[in-house]
Amino acid sequence: MTPPAQPFLSVEALDKRFGAERVLDGVGFTLERESVLAILGRSGGGKTTLLKILAGLVPADSGRFLLDGRDLSTVPPERRQVVYLYQEPLLFPHLSVRENLVFGLRLRRLDEAAMRARIEPLVDRLGLADHLEKMPAQLSGGQRQRVAFGRALAIQPPLLLLDEPFGSLDATTRAEMQTLFREVARQVAITAIFVTHDVKEALIVGDRFGHLAGARLKLFADRAAFIGDPVSGAASEIAFWNSLASKTPSPPRA
Amino acid sequence: MSPELGNTAPVSWPRRAGAAALIVLCWLPVAYLALLSLARDWAFPALLPTALTLATWQRALAGNDGLITSFATSVGIALLVATLATTAAGVASRIFAYHRHRGWWVLAMHAPFALSPVILGTCLLYFFIRLGLVGSAAGVIAAQFIFGYAYAVIVLVGFWNPHVAALEDLARTLGAGKREVLRRVVFPLARPLLAVAFFQTFLLSWFDYGLAAVIGAGKVPVLTLRVTEYMGSGNVHLAAVCALLLVVPPLAFLLLNRRLAITAA
Repeated sequence: MTPPAQPFLSVEALDKRFGAERVLDGVGFTLERESVLAILGRSGGGKTTLLKILAGLVPADSGRFLLDGRDLSTVPPERRQVVYLYQEPLLFPHLSVRENLVFGLRLRRLDEAAMRARIEPLVDRLGLADHLEKMPAQLSGGQRQRVAFGRALAIQPPLLLLDEPFGSLDATTRAEMQTLFREVARQVAITAIFVTHDVKEALIVGDRFGHLAGARLKLFADRAAFIGDPVSGAASEIAFWNSLASKTPSPPRA
Repeated sequence: MSPELGNTAPVSWPRRAGAAALIVLCWLPVAYLALLSLARDWAFPALLPTALTLATWQRALAGNDGLITSFATSVGIALLVATLATTAAGVASRIFAYHRHRGWWVLAMHAPFALSPVILGTCLLYFFIRLGLVGSAAGVIAAQFIFGYAYAVIVLVGFWNPHVAALEDLARTLGAGKREVLRRVVFPLARPLLAVAFFQTFLLSWFDYGLAAVIGAGKVPVLTLRVTEYMGSGNVHLAAVCALLLVVPPLAFLLLNRRLAITAA
Protein backbone atom coordinates (compact mmCIF):
# COMPACT_ATOMS: atom_id res chain seq x y z
CA MET A 1 0.00 0.00 0.00
CA THR A 2 1.46 3.40 -0.96
CA PRO A 3 1.55 6.10 1.73
CA PRO A 4 -0.76 9.10 1.21
CA ALA A 5 0.78 11.88 -0.88
CA GLN A 6 2.45 14.57 1.21
CA PRO A 7 0.73 17.97 0.87
CA PHE A 8 2.77 20.63 -0.91
CA LEU A 9 2.21 23.17 1.86
CA SER A 10 1.64 22.21 5.45
CA VAL A 11 1.08 24.67 8.29
CA GLU A 12 0.94 23.14 11.73
CA ALA A 13 -0.43 24.70 14.94
CA LEU A 14 0.80 28.26 14.46
CA ASP A 15 0.45 30.45 17.53
CA LYS A 16 1.12 34.15 17.74
CA ARG A 17 0.52 36.73 20.44
CA PHE A 18 1.20 40.45 20.46
CA GLY A 19 1.38 41.25 24.17
CA ALA A 20 -1.82 40.02 25.76
CA GLU A 21 -3.63 39.73 22.43
CA ARG A 22 -3.73 36.30 20.81
CA VAL A 23 -3.67 36.78 17.05
CA LEU A 24 -3.30 33.19 15.87
CA ASP A 25 -4.38 30.19 17.89
CA GLY A 26 -3.30 26.80 16.62
CA VAL A 27 -3.73 27.71 12.97
CA GLY A 28 -3.08 24.74 10.71
CA PHE A 29 -3.93 23.73 7.16
CA THR A 30 -2.55 22.00 4.11
CA LEU A 31 -2.60 23.06 0.48
CA GLU A 32 -2.01 21.15 -2.72
CA ARG A 33 0.38 22.34 -5.41
CA GLU A 34 -1.04 24.80 -7.98
CA SER A 35 -4.08 25.72 -5.93
CA VAL A 36 -5.13 29.02 -4.40
CA LEU A 37 -6.37 29.17 -0.82
CA ALA A 38 -8.59 32.20 -0.29
CA ILE A 39 -8.77 33.22 3.36
CA LEU A 40 -11.61 35.51 4.28
CA GLY A 41 -11.52 37.60 7.42
CA ARG A 42 -12.12 41.01 8.86
CA SER A 43 -9.42 43.67 8.98
CA GLY A 44 -7.23 43.18 12.05
CA GLY A 45 -8.20 39.51 12.26
CA GLY A 46 -4.66 38.14 11.96
CA LYS A 47 -4.59 37.52 8.20
CA THR A 48 -1.55 39.72 7.60
CA THR A 49 0.26 38.20 10.58
CA LEU A 50 -0.34 34.71 9.21
CA LEU A 51 1.12 35.68 5.82
CA LYS A 52 4.07 37.49 7.38
CA ILE A 53 4.88 34.43 9.47
CA LEU A 54 4.81 32.27 6.34
CA ALA A 55 7.03 34.80 4.55
CA GLY A 56 9.49 34.77 7.47
CA LEU A 57 8.98 38.45 8.25
CA VAL A 58 7.39 37.84 11.67
CA PRO A 59 8.39 34.95 13.95
CA ALA A 60 5.69 32.61 15.20
CA ASP A 61 5.53 31.84 18.91
CA SER A 62 5.14 28.16 18.08
CA GLY A 63 4.15 25.91 15.19
CA ARG A 64 5.72 24.71 11.97
CA PHE A 65 5.56 25.58 8.28
CA LEU A 66 6.60 22.98 5.71
CA LEU A 67 6.86 23.62 1.98
CA ASP A 68 7.38 20.64 -0.26
CA GLY A 69 8.40 18.63 2.79
CA ARG A 70 11.04 21.13 3.93
CA ASP A 71 10.62 22.85 7.30
CA LEU A 72 10.96 26.58 6.66
CA SER A 73 10.03 27.72 10.18
CA THR A 74 13.50 29.06 10.98
CA VAL A 75 14.69 29.81 7.45
CA PRO A 76 15.29 33.56 6.80
CA PRO A 77 12.90 35.21 4.31
CA GLU A 78 15.49 35.61 1.55
CA ARG A 79 16.05 31.84 1.46
CA ARG A 80 12.38 30.78 1.55
CA GLN A 81 11.48 31.73 -2.05
CA VAL A 82 8.09 32.73 -0.67
CA VAL A 83 7.03 36.11 -2.05
CA TYR A 84 4.71 38.38 -0.13
CA LEU A 85 2.56 40.81 -2.12
CA TYR A 86 1.48 43.84 -0.12
CA GLN A 87 -1.90 45.50 0.11
CA GLU A 88 -0.38 48.66 -1.31
CA PRO A 89 1.25 48.18 -4.71
CA LEU A 90 4.75 48.47 -3.35
CA LEU A 91 7.39 49.20 -5.98
CA PHE A 92 10.98 50.31 -5.51
CA PRO A 93 10.59 54.02 -6.28
CA HIS A 94 14.17 54.50 -7.50
CA LEU A 95 13.89 51.75 -10.14
CA SER A 96 12.08 51.74 -13.48
CA VAL A 97 9.30 49.26 -14.19
CA ARG A 98 11.79 47.02 -16.03
CA GLU A 99 14.24 47.10 -13.12
CA ASN A 100 11.44 46.39 -10.65
CA LEU A 101 10.42 43.36 -12.70
CA VAL A 102 13.95 41.94 -12.79
CA PHE A 103 14.80 42.82 -9.18
CA GLY A 104 14.57 39.24 -7.92
CA LEU A 105 16.30 37.90 -11.04
CA ARG A 106 19.28 40.23 -10.57
CA LEU A 107 19.64 38.88 -7.04
CA ARG A 108 19.77 35.41 -8.56
CA ARG A 109 22.51 36.62 -10.93
CA LEU A 110 20.71 35.71 -14.17
CA ASP A 111 22.29 37.15 -17.30
CA GLU A 112 20.46 39.81 -19.32
CA ALA A 113 19.19 37.37 -21.97
CA ALA A 114 17.80 34.99 -19.34
CA MET A 115 16.12 37.88 -17.53
CA ARG A 116 14.56 39.12 -20.74
CA ALA A 117 13.31 35.65 -21.58
CA ARG A 118 11.78 35.35 -18.12
CA ILE A 119 9.96 38.68 -18.04
CA GLU A 120 8.83 39.05 -21.67
CA PRO A 121 5.88 36.62 -21.43
CA LEU A 122 4.84 38.24 -18.14
CA VAL A 123 5.06 41.73 -19.61
CA ASP A 124 2.70 40.66 -22.40
CA ARG A 125 0.27 38.90 -20.08
CA LEU A 126 0.16 41.83 -17.68
CA GLY A 127 -0.06 44.49 -20.39
CA LEU A 128 3.08 46.32 -19.32
CA ALA A 129 4.91 46.53 -22.66
CA ASP A 130 4.36 50.28 -23.00
CA HIS A 131 5.45 51.08 -19.45
CA LEU A 132 8.80 49.34 -19.05
CA GLU A 133 10.90 52.50 -18.98
CA LYS A 134 8.53 54.45 -16.74
CA MET A 135 9.18 55.13 -13.09
CA PRO A 136 6.66 53.91 -10.48
CA ALA A 137 5.40 57.44 -9.82
CA GLN A 138 4.22 57.62 -13.44
CA LEU A 139 1.93 54.58 -13.11
CA SER A 140 -1.67 54.22 -11.97
CA GLY A 141 -2.55 52.06 -8.96
CA GLY A 142 -3.64 49.17 -11.16
CA GLN A 143 -0.48 49.35 -13.26
CA ARG A 144 1.66 49.43 -10.12
CA GLN A 145 -0.06 46.32 -8.79
CA ARG A 146 0.48 44.57 -12.14
CA VAL A 147 4.21 45.34 -11.88
CA ALA A 148 4.31 44.08 -8.29
CA PHE A 149 2.52 40.92 -9.39
CA GLY A 150 4.85 40.45 -12.37
CA ARG A 151 7.93 41.02 -10.20
CA ALA A 152 6.72 38.30 -7.82
CA LEU A 153 5.93 35.85 -10.64
CA ALA A 154 9.26 36.51 -12.39
CA ILE A 155 11.19 34.55 -9.78
CA GLN A 156 8.74 31.65 -10.11
CA PRO A 157 8.13 31.32 -6.37
CA PRO A 158 6.83 27.99 -5.12
CA LEU A 159 4.39 29.93 -2.93
CA LEU A 160 2.89 33.38 -3.41
CA LEU A 161 1.29 35.23 -0.52
CA LEU A 162 -1.19 37.96 -1.40
CA ASP A 163 -2.33 40.31 1.33
CA GLU A 164 -5.49 42.00 0.01
CA PRO A 165 -3.46 43.08 -3.01
CA PHE A 166 -6.33 44.81 -4.78
CA GLY A 167 -7.79 46.47 -1.69
CA SER A 168 -6.56 49.94 -2.59
CA LEU A 169 -7.85 49.88 -6.19
CA ASP A 170 -11.10 51.32 -7.51
CA ALA A 171 -13.95 48.89 -8.17
CA THR A 172 -13.41 48.56 -11.94
CA THR A 173 -9.64 48.10 -11.75
CA ARG A 174 -10.12 45.72 -8.86
CA ALA A 175 -12.48 43.52 -10.88
CA GLU A 176 -10.01 43.54 -13.80
CA MET A 177 -7.14 42.57 -11.51
CA GLN A 178 -9.14 39.74 -9.91
CA THR A 179 -9.85 38.26 -13.34
CA LEU A 180 -6.25 38.81 -14.44
CA PHE A 181 -4.95 37.12 -11.31
CA ARG A 182 -7.21 34.13 -11.88
CA GLU A 183 -6.10 33.80 -15.51
CA VAL A 184 -2.39 34.18 -14.79
CA ALA A 185 -2.59 31.87 -11.76
CA ARG A 186 -3.98 29.16 -14.04
CA GLN A 187 -1.51 29.86 -16.85
CA VAL A 188 1.62 29.77 -14.71
CA ALA A 189 0.21 27.22 -12.24
CA ILE A 190 1.04 29.06 -9.05
CA THR A 191 0.37 27.98 -5.50
CA ALA A 192 -0.92 30.91 -3.49
CA ILE A 193 -2.61 32.07 -0.33
CA PHE A 194 -4.85 35.05 -0.99
CA VAL A 195 -6.31 36.89 2.00
CA THR A 196 -9.20 39.27 1.60
CA HIS A 197 -12.15 40.69 3.48
CA ASP A 198 -14.29 40.62 0.32
CA VAL A 199 -16.31 37.42 -0.10
CA LYS A 200 -16.80 37.99 -3.83
CA GLU A 201 -13.06 38.38 -4.34
CA ALA A 202 -12.45 35.19 -2.34
CA LEU A 203 -14.88 33.30 -4.59
CA ILE A 204 -13.29 34.65 -7.78
CA VAL A 205 -9.66 33.89 -6.91
CA GLY A 206 -9.87 30.82 -4.68
CA ASP A 207 -9.86 27.06 -5.28
CA ARG A 208 -10.06 26.38 -1.57
CA PHE A 209 -11.54 28.53 1.13
CA GLY A 210 -10.93 29.42 4.74
CA HIS A 211 -12.25 31.91 7.28
CA LEU A 212 -10.02 33.48 9.93
CA ALA A 213 -11.77 34.89 12.98
CA GLY A 214 -11.08 34.92 16.70
CA ALA A 215 -7.48 33.87 15.96
CA ARG A 216 -8.69 30.53 14.57
CA LEU A 217 -8.85 29.38 10.96
CA LYS A 218 -11.85 27.43 9.72
CA LEU A 219 -11.34 25.55 6.47
CA PHE A 220 -14.16 24.54 4.15
CA ALA A 221 -14.39 21.27 2.27
CA ASP A 222 -15.36 22.95 -0.99
CA ARG A 223 -16.87 26.06 -2.57
CA ALA A 224 -20.43 25.00 -1.74
CA ALA A 225 -19.56 24.53 1.93
CA PHE A 226 -17.97 28.00 1.98
CA ILE A 227 -21.00 29.63 0.38
CA GLY A 228 -23.38 27.71 2.61
CA ASP A 229 -21.67 28.57 5.90
CA PRO A 230 -23.09 31.76 7.49
CA VAL A 231 -19.61 32.87 8.68
CA SER A 232 -18.49 33.46 5.08
CA GLY A 233 -21.37 35.88 4.52
CA ALA A 234 -21.68 34.55 0.95
CA ALA A 235 -25.24 33.29 1.37
CA SER A 236 -26.47 36.59 2.84
CA GLU A 237 -24.76 38.52 0.04
CA ILE A 238 -26.38 36.32 -2.61
CA ALA A 239 -29.74 36.75 -0.86
CA PHE A 240 -29.25 40.53 -0.84
CA TRP A 241 -28.57 40.70 -4.58
CA ASN A 242 -31.42 38.31 -5.35
CA SER A 243 -33.88 40.38 -3.32
CA LEU A 244 -32.62 43.53 -5.01
CA ALA A 245 -33.01 41.93 -8.43
CA SER A 246 -36.56 40.80 -7.64
CA LYS A 247 -37.54 44.33 -6.53
CA THR A 248 -35.94 46.05 -9.53
CA PRO A 249 -38.19 46.21 -12.59
CA SER A 250 -36.66 44.71 -15.72
CA PRO A 251 -35.70 47.22 -18.41
CA PRO A 252 -38.20 47.41 -21.26
CA ARG A 253 -37.27 45.26 -24.24
CA ALA A 254 -36.59 47.01 -27.49
CA MET B 1 3.20 68.81 -19.40
CA SER B 2 1.31 70.20 -16.46
CA PRO B 3 0.47 73.91 -16.46
CA GLU B 4 2.71 74.40 -13.42
CA LEU B 5 5.68 72.78 -15.10
CA GLY B 6 5.06 74.55 -18.35
CA ASN B 7 4.78 77.98 -16.73
CA THR B 8 7.14 80.20 -18.69
CA ALA B 9 5.69 83.58 -17.62
CA PRO B 10 8.37 86.29 -17.45
CA VAL B 11 9.79 86.96 -13.99
CA SER B 12 8.79 90.38 -12.68
CA TRP B 13 11.54 93.00 -12.18
CA PRO B 14 11.14 93.23 -8.37
CA ARG B 15 11.77 89.48 -8.15
CA ARG B 16 14.79 89.81 -10.42
CA ALA B 17 16.10 92.71 -8.34
CA GLY B 18 15.52 90.73 -5.14
CA ALA B 19 17.37 87.72 -6.54
CA ALA B 20 20.24 89.92 -7.69
CA ALA B 21 20.43 91.59 -4.26
CA LEU B 22 20.54 88.18 -2.60
CA ILE B 23 23.37 87.03 -4.85
CA VAL B 24 25.32 90.24 -4.19
CA LEU B 25 24.76 89.87 -0.42
CA CYS B 26 26.05 86.28 -0.52
CA TRP B 27 29.11 87.04 -2.61
CA LEU B 28 30.01 90.50 -1.23
CA PRO B 29 31.93 89.18 1.82
CA VAL B 30 33.84 86.78 -0.43
CA ALA B 31 34.67 89.57 -2.87
CA TYR B 32 35.74 91.80 0.01
CA LEU B 33 38.02 89.08 1.42
CA ALA B 34 39.53 88.48 -2.03
CA LEU B 35 40.25 92.20 -2.39
CA LEU B 36 41.70 92.37 1.12
CA SER B 37 43.96 89.37 0.44
CA LEU B 38 45.32 91.13 -2.67
CA ALA B 39 45.59 94.63 -1.22
CA ARG B 40 48.97 96.20 -0.60
CA ASP B 41 47.87 99.64 0.54
CA TRP B 42 44.34 100.19 1.70
CA ALA B 43 44.31 103.04 4.14
CA PHE B 44 41.24 104.82 5.46
CA PRO B 45 39.23 106.53 3.94
CA ALA B 46 40.05 104.99 0.51
CA LEU B 47 37.12 102.95 -0.83
CA LEU B 48 39.40 100.58 -2.71
CA PRO B 49 43.04 99.58 -2.26
CA THR B 50 45.53 101.80 -4.04
CA ALA B 51 47.72 98.85 -5.07
CA LEU B 52 47.27 95.11 -5.49
CA THR B 53 49.81 92.34 -4.96
CA LEU B 54 50.04 88.57 -4.95
CA ALA B 55 52.69 88.66 -2.25
CA THR B 56 50.35 87.56 0.56
CA TRP B 57 49.11 84.58 -1.47
CA GLN B 58 52.68 83.67 -2.46
CA ARG B 59 53.71 83.83 1.18
CA ALA B 60 50.72 81.70 2.26
CA LEU B 61 51.21 79.11 -0.48
CA ALA B 62 54.95 78.88 0.23
CA GLY B 63 53.91 77.15 3.43
CA ASN B 64 56.22 79.09 5.73
CA ASP B 65 53.30 80.30 7.85
CA GLY B 66 51.83 76.80 8.21
CA LEU B 67 48.67 77.77 6.33
CA ILE B 68 48.85 74.80 3.98
CA THR B 69 49.31 72.48 6.96
CA SER B 70 46.32 74.10 8.65
CA PHE B 71 44.23 73.72 5.51
CA ALA B 72 45.15 70.05 5.20
CA THR B 73 44.50 69.49 8.92
CA SER B 74 41.08 71.13 8.70
CA VAL B 75 40.13 69.17 5.58
CA GLY B 76 41.31 65.89 7.12
CA ILE B 77 39.49 66.46 10.42
CA ALA B 78 36.25 67.62 8.77
CA LEU B 79 36.21 64.71 6.30
CA LEU B 80 36.86 62.22 9.08
CA VAL B 81 34.20 63.73 11.37
CA ALA B 82 31.66 63.83 8.53
CA THR B 83 32.39 60.24 7.48
CA LEU B 84 32.30 58.84 11.02
CA ALA B 85 29.25 60.85 12.09
CA THR B 86 27.20 60.05 8.97
CA THR B 87 28.06 56.36 9.09
CA ALA B 88 27.35 56.00 12.81
CA ALA B 89 24.18 58.08 12.55
CA GLY B 90 22.99 56.01 9.59
CA VAL B 91 23.06 52.90 11.78
CA ALA B 92 21.84 54.57 14.98
CA SER B 93 19.01 56.51 13.35
CA ARG B 94 17.47 53.24 12.16
CA ILE B 95 17.58 51.80 15.67
CA PHE B 96 16.13 54.97 17.21
CA ALA B 97 13.46 55.36 14.50
CA TYR B 98 11.97 51.91 15.11
CA HIS B 99 12.42 52.02 18.89
CA ARG B 100 9.29 52.36 20.97
CA HIS B 101 10.88 55.39 22.70
CA ARG B 102 11.78 57.07 19.40
CA GLY B 103 10.75 60.51 20.68
CA TRP B 104 13.06 60.34 23.67
CA TRP B 105 16.03 59.26 21.57
CA VAL B 106 15.50 62.10 19.13
CA LEU B 107 15.14 64.55 22.02
CA ALA B 108 18.40 63.24 23.50
CA MET B 109 20.12 63.94 20.18
CA HIS B 110 19.28 67.63 20.63
CA ALA B 111 21.18 67.76 23.95
CA PRO B 112 24.59 68.76 22.51
CA PHE B 113 22.97 71.78 20.88
CA ALA B 114 21.67 73.07 24.21
CA LEU B 115 25.24 74.15 25.00
CA SER B 116 27.66 76.19 22.94
CA PRO B 117 30.68 74.23 21.65
CA VAL B 118 33.01 76.14 24.01
CA ILE B 119 30.93 75.21 27.07
CA LEU B 120 30.57 71.60 25.92
CA GLY B 121 34.32 71.52 25.29
CA THR B 122 34.96 72.81 28.81
CA CYS B 123 32.61 70.14 30.21
CA LEU B 124 34.42 67.44 28.24
CA LEU B 125 37.90 68.75 29.06
CA TYR B 126 38.29 66.75 32.31
CA PHE B 127 37.38 63.45 30.65
CA PHE B 128 39.53 64.19 27.65
CA ILE B 129 42.51 65.00 29.90
CA ARG B 130 42.02 61.64 31.63
CA LEU B 131 41.86 59.94 28.25
CA GLY B 132 44.97 61.73 27.02
CA LEU B 133 43.09 63.30 24.12
CA VAL B 134 43.63 66.99 24.88
CA GLY B 135 45.95 68.72 22.45
CA SER B 136 45.54 66.04 19.78
CA ALA B 137 43.68 65.84 16.47
CA ALA B 138 42.00 62.67 17.78
CA GLY B 139 40.59 64.69 20.71
CA VAL B 140 39.22 67.40 18.41
CA ILE B 141 37.70 64.75 16.13
CA ALA B 142 36.10 62.95 19.10
CA ALA B 143 34.62 66.19 20.45
CA GLN B 144 33.32 67.35 17.07
CA PHE B 145 31.94 63.88 16.43
CA ILE B 146 29.53 64.37 19.35
CA PHE B 147 27.97 67.35 17.56
CA GLY B 148 28.16 65.83 14.10
CA TYR B 149 26.71 62.49 15.16
CA ALA B 150 23.77 64.09 16.99
CA TYR B 151 23.06 66.38 14.05
CA ALA B 152 23.26 63.54 11.50
CA VAL B 153 20.89 61.39 13.58
CA ILE B 154 18.36 64.25 13.62
CA VAL B 155 18.66 64.55 9.82
CA LEU B 156 18.47 60.81 9.11
CA VAL B 157 15.89 59.62 11.63
CA GLY B 158 13.08 60.95 9.42
CA PHE B 159 14.15 58.67 6.58
CA TRP B 160 13.08 55.51 8.40
CA ASN B 161 9.35 54.87 8.30
CA PRO B 162 6.91 51.98 7.76
CA HIS B 163 7.10 52.43 3.98
CA VAL B 164 10.89 51.95 3.95
CA ALA B 165 10.52 48.99 6.35
CA ALA B 166 7.98 47.42 3.99
CA LEU B 167 10.35 47.92 1.03
CA GLU B 168 13.12 46.23 3.02
CA ASP B 169 10.83 43.30 3.87
CA LEU B 170 9.69 43.07 0.26
CA ALA B 171 13.29 42.94 -0.98
CA ARG B 172 14.03 40.15 1.49
CA THR B 173 11.10 38.02 0.32
CA LEU B 174 12.36 38.54 -3.25
CA GLY B 175 15.66 37.02 -2.19
CA ALA B 176 17.83 39.91 -0.97
CA GLY B 177 20.07 39.26 2.03
CA LYS B 178 20.62 42.07 4.55
CA ARG B 179 23.64 43.38 2.67
CA GLU B 180 21.77 43.35 -0.66
CA VAL B 181 18.84 45.17 0.94
CA LEU B 182 21.26 47.85 2.09
CA ARG B 183 23.00 48.10 -1.29
CA ARG B 184 19.99 47.87 -3.62
CA VAL B 185 17.20 49.49 -1.62
CA VAL B 186 18.20 51.45 1.47
CA PHE B 187 21.32 53.20 0.21
CA PRO B 188 19.84 54.43 -3.11
CA LEU B 189 16.77 55.74 -1.32
CA ALA B 190 18.74 57.37 1.51
CA ARG B 191 21.48 58.81 -0.69
CA PRO B 192 20.11 62.40 -0.88
CA LEU B 193 19.68 62.60 2.90
CA LEU B 194 23.05 60.96 3.52
CA ALA B 195 24.63 63.62 1.30
CA VAL B 196 22.92 66.36 3.30
CA ALA B 197 24.03 64.78 6.60
CA PHE B 198 27.61 64.42 5.33
CA PHE B 199 27.72 67.98 4.03
CA GLN B 200 26.25 69.49 7.19
CA THR B 201 28.49 67.54 9.56
CA PHE B 202 31.46 68.51 7.41
CA LEU B 203 30.47 72.16 7.88
CA LEU B 204 29.96 71.72 11.64
CA SER B 205 33.52 70.48 11.93
CA TRP B 206 34.97 72.84 9.33
CA PHE B 207 33.70 76.02 10.96
CA ASP B 208 34.18 74.86 14.56
CA TYR B 209 36.26 77.14 16.69
CA GLY B 210 35.27 76.43 20.32
CA LEU B 211 36.03 72.71 20.50
CA ALA B 212 39.22 73.07 18.46
CA ALA B 213 40.37 75.84 20.81
CA VAL B 214 39.50 74.08 24.09
CA ILE B 215 40.19 70.41 23.30
CA GLY B 216 42.93 71.15 20.77
CA ALA B 217 44.61 73.40 23.36
CA GLY B 218 46.33 75.37 20.58
CA LYS B 219 48.18 72.28 19.34
CA VAL B 220 45.79 71.41 16.51
CA PRO B 221 46.24 74.24 14.00
CA VAL B 222 42.87 74.27 12.22
CA LEU B 223 42.01 77.19 9.91
CA THR B 224 39.44 78.81 12.21
CA LEU B 225 42.13 79.22 14.88
CA ARG B 226 44.53 80.63 12.27
CA VAL B 227 42.09 83.33 11.24
CA THR B 228 41.72 84.63 14.79
CA GLU B 229 45.46 84.29 15.32
CA TYR B 230 46.23 86.49 12.30
CA MET B 231 43.50 88.94 13.22
CA GLY B 232 44.91 89.18 16.73
CA SER B 233 48.39 89.88 15.42
CA GLY B 234 47.05 92.57 13.05
CA ASN B 235 47.90 90.69 9.83
CA VAL B 236 44.57 91.30 8.13
CA HIS B 237 45.84 90.36 4.65
CA LEU B 238 46.95 86.89 5.76
CA ALA B 239 43.73 86.57 7.78
CA ALA B 240 41.81 87.30 4.55
CA VAL B 241 43.73 84.58 2.68
CA CYS B 242 42.98 82.20 5.53
CA ALA B 243 39.29 83.16 5.55
CA LEU B 244 39.09 82.60 1.79
CA LEU B 245 40.62 79.15 2.20
CA LEU B 246 37.93 78.57 4.81
CA VAL B 247 35.21 79.33 2.26
CA VAL B 248 36.56 77.19 -0.61
CA PRO B 249 35.65 73.60 0.48
CA PRO B 250 32.09 74.44 1.61
CA LEU B 251 31.49 76.23 -1.71
CA ALA B 252 32.85 73.27 -3.64
CA PHE B 253 30.67 70.89 -1.61
CA LEU B 254 27.67 73.14 -2.07
CA LEU B 255 28.07 73.14 -5.85
CA LEU B 256 28.67 69.38 -5.94
CA ASN B 257 25.74 68.57 -3.71
CA ARG B 258 23.29 71.18 -4.93
CA ARG B 259 21.19 68.69 -6.87
CA LEU B 260 21.18 66.15 -4.04
CA ALA B 261 20.33 68.79 -1.45
CA ILE B 262 17.42 70.05 -3.54
CA THR B 263 16.15 66.47 -4.04
CA ALA B 264 16.30 65.79 -0.31
CA ALA B 265 14.53 69.04 0.50
